[in-house]
Amino acid sequence: MRGIQLSLNQTQKLRLQRALEQLESLSSKANSNASVTIADTIPVNYEDGVLKGHGTSELDGEVVATMCGVVERVNKLVYVRALRARYKPEIGDIIVGRVIEVAPKRWRLEINFSQDAVLMLSSMNLPDGIQRRRTAVDELNMRSIFEENDVICAEVRGFQHDGSLHLQARSQKYGKLERGQLLTVPPYLVKRRKQHFHNLEQYGIDLILGCNGFIWVGEHIEAKDPMVEDQVNKSEQQNTKSSKNFTRLEEQEQTYTPPETRQNICRTANAVRVLSTLGFNITVEVITETVELSSSLNLDIHEMLGSEFCVLVAEREAERRRLLTKKKG
Amino acid sequence: MVGLSVGEKHFIQGGIAQDLRSDGRKRLTYRPIYVETGVIPQANGSARVRMGATDVIASVKAELGKPIPLQPDKGKVAIYVDCSPTAAPMFEGRGGEELSTELSNALQRCLLGGKSGAGAGIDLSSLVVIEGKICWDLYIDGLVVSSDGNLLDALGAAIKAALSNTGIPKVHVAVGASGSEQPEVDISDEEFLQFDTSGVPVIVTLTKVGRHYIVDATSEEESQMSSAVSVSVNRQGRICGLTKRGGAGLDPSIILDMISVAKHVSEQLINKLDSEIAAAEACEDES
Repeated sequence: MRGIQLSLNQTQKLRLQRALEQLESLSSKANSNASVTIADTIPVNYEDGVLKGHGTSELDGEVVATMCGVVERVNKLVYVRALRARYKPEIGDIIVGRVIEVAPKRWRLEINFSQDAVLMLSSMNLPDGIQRRRTAVDELNMRSIFEENDVICAEVRGFQHDGSLHLQARSQKYGKLERGQLLTVPPYLVKRRKQHFHNLEQYGIDLILGCNGFIWVGEHIEAKDPMVEDQVNKSEQQNTKSSKNFTRLEEQEQTYTPPETRQNICRTANAVRVLSTLGFNITVEVITETVELSSSLNLDIHEMLGSEFCVLVAEREAERRRLLTKKKG
Repeated sequence: MVGLSVGEKHFIQGGIAQDLRSDGRKRLTYRPIYVETGVIPQANGSARVRMGATDVIASVKAELGKPIPLQPDKGKVAIYVDCSPTAAPMFEGRGGEELSTELSNALQRCLLGGKSGAGAGIDLSSLVVIEGKICWDLYIDGLVVSSDGNLLDALGAAIKAALSNTGIPKVHVAVGASGSEQPEVDISDEEFLQFDTSGVPVIVTLTKVGRHYIVDATSEEESQMSSAVSVSVNRQGRICGLTKRGGAGLDPSIILDMISVAKHVSEQLINKLDSEIAAAEACEDES
């Protein structure tokens, strides 16, 4: 999670500080009462009986916090939630991971969590799309589906009894991701929303915001339903796929992403990098706004990573938040 | 380094072929370079250079020593690079040693010329105090704090910045005592002589991916390279050193082409670096 090093001159530093202070003042007031640091006492109504959850401890008859964060209460449970925690998977989360190992009947994926996630062969659609029992031949052909270092999009199925995390990729929208780039941001910047798959039609790119902080920006690929496709077509495609590894350089060049789409991909990726450096929440709206801001200023794509654009993005965000609170209040 | 999938590798190669890399740079564009000087107060000179996520620190320490008998009118310079384990997981324990030796050798070749001292980028005769008896020994140490590709260029820039920050103490030699080993020398506390770095070259590394060369590769792009040629060029456009890494062979015409591209790129790089170093020194003077 290495960010861009920003070197700001005096005026830029002042502007950035002012924008961040404005954002802080605009944030909801309720949180500031609930935030605690280590060894702060948590105000609790003792008569009701209290369940001490994560991040709390009993000291001299008082409930004190053992980590820095925000106090959350659910009925009688009191716990402290850290603001910058590691990724905590929940069932139904859409994540993007990288295959690190092909094991018997499963793939192990790295998903920026404390342990590796497991994608069972049975939780994955077979290439021919037929629903059937996985045989030994399927197990031997696992590498033809996913290999080491492949980038995969999947959904969290749940935790097993032994504590390992299981994923499933049964739908057409999950699966291998190609023709694009993977970005890593701190996981707490990606909040859970209704939709994590975004197809930015005006740019022709796919944007997948994994809850674990892995973000995929790539060329738009239509999800193909293998049941509908002709069997003949399928075998032809498989033939060309196997010979792709041996094509000459020119043929490979023909399969490169078109320059227009590539520019959009790079612009969007840089927008995500800038937002990650500034520590702003990453949502589709903010990303598209940042991309539009950079195109409207006619900035070269690599200049988006410079200090001037970062300060502009911070100021723009402060302005947007201010207008939003004005509308509400 | 994390592995890359076939799709990602294809994307990177396509970007380089189409002159639009993953972060939007063109093939011959450098990442923004940030220079800080005087980061190590105990050293005679020091600098820290950041190019993207690559972070290196160089320091220069000067000590009095005896010149080697074969070259009595030249000082000595030793360059050593250390890859900190915090830079990358593979540098843990002794993992970084191979890379450190490779970088040290490449820097010595690029900055110090051949074994006889001919063609050195750093002027060694300015380091002599008493010919044949006393000279300055410069120990240049580089530390790789964070590695994201293009370590050689960053180290070259850091060494150049550290040398411009170096102050060699003025030495007063007592008159008299001839022939004996130790004429009295008085090292003044007021640092006087600023090292002359107008002749120090910069290193430009060209990484060949497919049919094209890129400058300032990130570690992802370096994993795709077939070979890399590092050329050190000085302000006059003269070549001071050449290093090739990578397993693939190169046709001689390609090497000549790479050299001319490197010369072209080095002009902008030298100007940018000089202005950054001047700005950093000005910043340091203020604080």
